[in-house]
Amino acid sequence: MMADLVFGPELAVDDRASLLARIERSGVPEPDRDALLASDLSRLLVYRKLVRANLRDAMFSSIPRTMSRLGPLFDEYFDRFLADCAPQTHYLRDVTVELLDFCAPLWPEDPRVPDWAMDLARHEAVQIEVGAKAGGAHDEGTGALELDAPVQFIEAVRLMRYGWAVHLLSEDLDDRTVPEPRRTDLFVYRSPEHEVRYLELTPLAAAILERLLAGQALGASIREACAALTVEVDEAVIQGSARVLADLGERGALIGKREDQRA
Amino acid sequence: MNQPPAEKLSGVGLGLRWEFLDEVLEGPPLAVAFFEVSPENYMRRGGYYPAALERIGDRYPLVTHGLTLSLGGTTPPPSEYLSELRTETRRLKTPFHSDHLSFGTFGARVFHELLPLKLSGESARRVADRVRQVEDFLALPMAVENITWYAHPGAQEMPEADFIAEVLHESGASLLLDVNNVWVNAQNQGFDPQAFISNLPLDRVVEIHVAGHSRTSSGLILDTHGAPVVDPVLELLEWTLERTGPVPVLLERDNEIPELSVLLAEVEKLRSVYERAIRKKEARLARSA
Repeated sequence: MMADLVFGPELAVDDRASLLARIERSGVPEPDRDALLASDLSRLLVYRKLVRANLRDAMFSSIPRTMSRLGPLFDEYFDRFLADCAPQTHYLRDVTVELLDFCAPLWPEDPRVPDWAMDLARHEAVQIEVGAKAGGAHDEGTGALELDAPVQFIEAVRLMRYGWAVHLLSEDLDDRTVPEPRRTDLFVYRSPEHEVRYLELTPLAAAILERLLAGQALGASIREACAALTVEVDEAVIQGSARVLADLGERGALIGKREDQRA
Repeated sequence: MNQPPAEKLSGVGLGLRWEFLDEVLEGPPLAVAFFEVSPENYMRRGGYYPAALERIGDRYPLVTHGLTLSLGGTTPPPSEYLSELRTETRRLKTPFHSDHLSFGTFGARVFHELLPLKLSGESARRVADRVRQVEDFLALPMAVENITWYAHPGAQEMPEADFIAEVLHESGASLLLDVNNVWVNAQNQGFDPQAFISNLPLDRVVEIHVAGHSRTSSGLILDTHGAPVVDPVLELLEWTLERTGPVPVLLERDNEIPELSVLLAEVEKLRSVYERAIRKKEARLARSA
């Protein structure tokens, strides 16, 4: 009953008929039903306001520009999210990602939602996601890289792949500039100083890192990425890959060879 | 479980918030007896905040106060959540863990808010069972906190004070008495807060919370933790401490958080209340002896 009042459709404070219908739908036993019907509905509905305000505040701290740009459209999807599934996580910081996962299949179908909206939302949300990601048991140095072994990254990394250059947009909540439509790949990691940092990658570097993050061996990652992008595996590619990986190592994002398995 | 806390807290503490965490970490020692933290903000998390909290734990006693155990929920909390909570309470070396006499989940859905329980014997026994299970899992004494509530979800079968007493009796847990919540409920529901507190087993109180609140246009008082503690709540705190003796008192501030110096001034004010109440209690004991 409380879940329905909080997450379900809005209920007017004097709409006793709808209240009765919801009580009956919830299977509330008779003494409780009578007590609820006799109660001050405005006080019951306080909980709807409290829950929604708390969740909305948490989301605003994570994706403020997306919410500002979408305005009432965001509220519409917020309502749908609460009504259809609601938060499942005990961690308030993770509710935004749950909402975005809910919206991911819906927004492309809705012509009112700009094509870049999900990229911007994911880009905003990744800051808290990577900033808060738990450290792993493997966040200790391992051996030097080998072509036939996978690579060990720290836990707090993400490869973000966008169709729009949302990372170049202003932080200003009032900015309404439309992002440039272009393939953008960012490697996002948490530095040893706990700062979330972003590196823009070439398409080839992104393709290699995507495979490495999936656990493929270094050599196979380079070969498959080159094949996917129809790039020849030559000395320049090998040298370039080595430079990128060395850079990630210096930044503390790449630890070394993964010891537990070989491809 | 149900053993008394190994390290007894006393004095006036402050709820640790990220807005002033750096100041606590980098500044000189503060006149704060302990800090209280919500473990959910640090559990299953890496990065700056858990690292900072560990350093604060080297300088000040910490006590954990949870938000999402949903002690009155019809389904138990997920085992992963409990495991993380156990890891965190051990990491922070809290003498006990507290959470609220409320529910915050319905099936898999999590409200992230404290919803009121039906005040009935059945509900009290369910909460007590859950408290015992959590205590056993955490291997840590538990305290339960009375909440502010604005509506009762059905037919109320017993007074709230009796409900709290029954949960404590059945579970063996301690009480975290939120004096502001009692006062707010008393105003909203029209009862005498001192009579309410007199009906509680005050020998089970291990901590007291105070906070500020706000009033809506309809006159309803909301427990917002967004304002200084008002004088009537300070008076009720003093009256309560005269009866409980020197249990630790915590200032909560979660919204409209001012400069740390403002909060420290409020802690100082609470300390005056605390010391005056303890002196009065000791004087009364001396007279009766």
